[in-house]
Amino acid sequence: MRPAASVLLLTTLTGFAYGLLAWTGVYALLGLLPAAPRFATAGTTLGLLIASFGLGASALHLGRADRAWRAFSQWRSSWLSREAVGAVLTYPIAILFLLALRWDHGGIAMRLLGAAVAVMALGTVYCTAMIYASLKPIRQWHNPHTAPDYLIYAAFSGALLFALLHAVLVGGSAPIFVIVPMTAAIALLAKRAYWRHVDAQTPFASLASAIGLAKEVDVRALDAPHFTENYVLREMGFTIARRHSGRLRRIALGLAFAAPLVLSILAGLSMAPLAATAAAVACAALGLLTERWLFFAEATHVSALYYGRVV
Amino acid sequence: MTMLPTALPGAKRLGLVIDLDTCVGCHACAVSCKEWNSGGEAGPLPDYDPRGSEPDGVWFNRVHSYEAAEQGCSRTVNLPRSCMHCEDALCVTVCPTGASYKRAEDGIVLIDPEICIGCKLCSWACPYGAREFDEQAGVMRKCTLCVDRIYDKSLPEAEREPACVAACPTRARHFGDLGDPESRVSKLVAARGGKDLLPELGYRPTNKYLPARTARIPTASKPAPQEGDGVGAALLRLLDRVLSR
Repeated sequence: MRPAASVLLLTTLTGFAYGLLAWTGVYALLGLLPAAPRFATAGTTLGLLIASFGLGASALHLGRADRAWRAFSQWRSSWLSREAVGAVLTYPIAILFLLALRWDHGGIAMRLLGAAVAVMALGTVYCTAMIYASLKPIRQWHNPHTAPDYLIYAAFSGALLFALLHAVLVGGSAPIFVIVPMTAAIALLAKRAYWRHVDAQTPFASLASAIGLAKEVDVRALDAPHFTENYVLREMGFTIARRHSGRLRRIALGLAFAAPLVLSILAGLSMAPLAATAAAVACAALGLLTERWLFFAEATHVSALYYGRVV
Repeated sequence: MTMLPTALPGAKRLGLVIDLDTCVGCHACAVSCKEWNSGGEAGPLPDYDPRGSEPDGVWFNRVHSYEAAEQGCSRTVNLPRSCMHCEDALCVTVCPTGASYKRAEDGIVLIDPEICIGCKLCSWACPYGAREFDEQAGVMRKCTLCVDRIYDKSLPEAEREPACVAACPTRARHFGDLGDPESRVSKLVAARGGKDLLPELGYRPTNKYLPARTARIPTASKPAPQEGDGVGAALLRLLDRVLSR
């Protein structure tokens, strides 16, 4: 599948943003927020801001962005529509939460709204993941790993941003500096489990069944319909750089999860917490973009079978 | 509305039956489709760089050719590929806007170009690669089963069939109601063992493909070049070397 920059930005940025909103909400619910009220305010505002950038980037993916409002209508059947509804509903709830942070800090309204923000944020990430997980022609997406993985990466990247805010506004010693390495380790293991799964996966279909023949028949493509590329091949037959996937996978694991894991432990040990966390966020952002690029670039689509491609 | 319609008892399920035994891969159906849909209600169908070195554009129907080998015999299989108007059309349910829909009355899957936002998700959901993006209009396009033709009362009744069916010189394409077991196309499917493409994905396509006959003539394996030791063979080798200069 062609890794479109708009979609890579959307899923990576919303992962950071909704992860941050979720951790802020959970901290509020449990009454664990640092005493300074500006911390949660900053976390929520930053979360909404980054989410807005991600959602803005996704609009660039549309052929007719002027009609984007129509995407809110089909939530009964479409995960994309549910994602859009979830993303938009998160705003008013997060704004109410911001008001509660100011007028009811530590009170029951703040706690409940914090919980609501966390539910909306994680729910939106889940909808994003299900867009991919529900696509039956793509075996690398249509599997039990996709949905939990997106939630894990959001929890990890959000926790990392939360830790950065903490280092900036409060200081380097807090439970979040234990949470970050834990989520980083879980994310790393989840990504490795995902790659093990897709590497061992049997294809969903063969060229023989694609053209209505029994699977014993040995089929090869002779002539494509046209001599040149077309939309289906450009969008669904993306094959560039698959041969570098081994190196890119190592880069993704190292940058996205391993480096932030080590850096956040250093930060937790009060060794230059601000610099270490900031570097961890930068690594994670680059690493997750690489990871997301691979998630698309390595995904194969059944329709490419018709062109004799391996899927 | 992108919920799939509940199938009404006795509702029509219009679709195509394509005979892979008689299809000669001439692309007439694809060209005729392109021609009709460039001018009909679905038009214009965009072409990018049509006279350049990398021509490209939207086609609703594309014809592939394959070699199928079985037990030492091989044959050519030509496969016209277009929208299957599936019963479980994932391209419809994933649509966030309601632009992609399946008609309750005849099962035709269509796109409303006035509503489509061009998110391309429906093309990702289609295992048959039947949907193509219109870069000029910014919306997705697909086969309409010539809905602007098959119901057109101003056409003589014999012409109320999809352009691809009308164009086929070998009568390999048949159009009709696959929801009615007594229809000509349903009987044809039953008699010839019509197949779904990619049945394992569970989209329940309406279009059916009649299988090509099994090849019975063994594919001749190339005889190994005869090499002898005699004077004749030595002369031939010499001749070969001379001629190869």
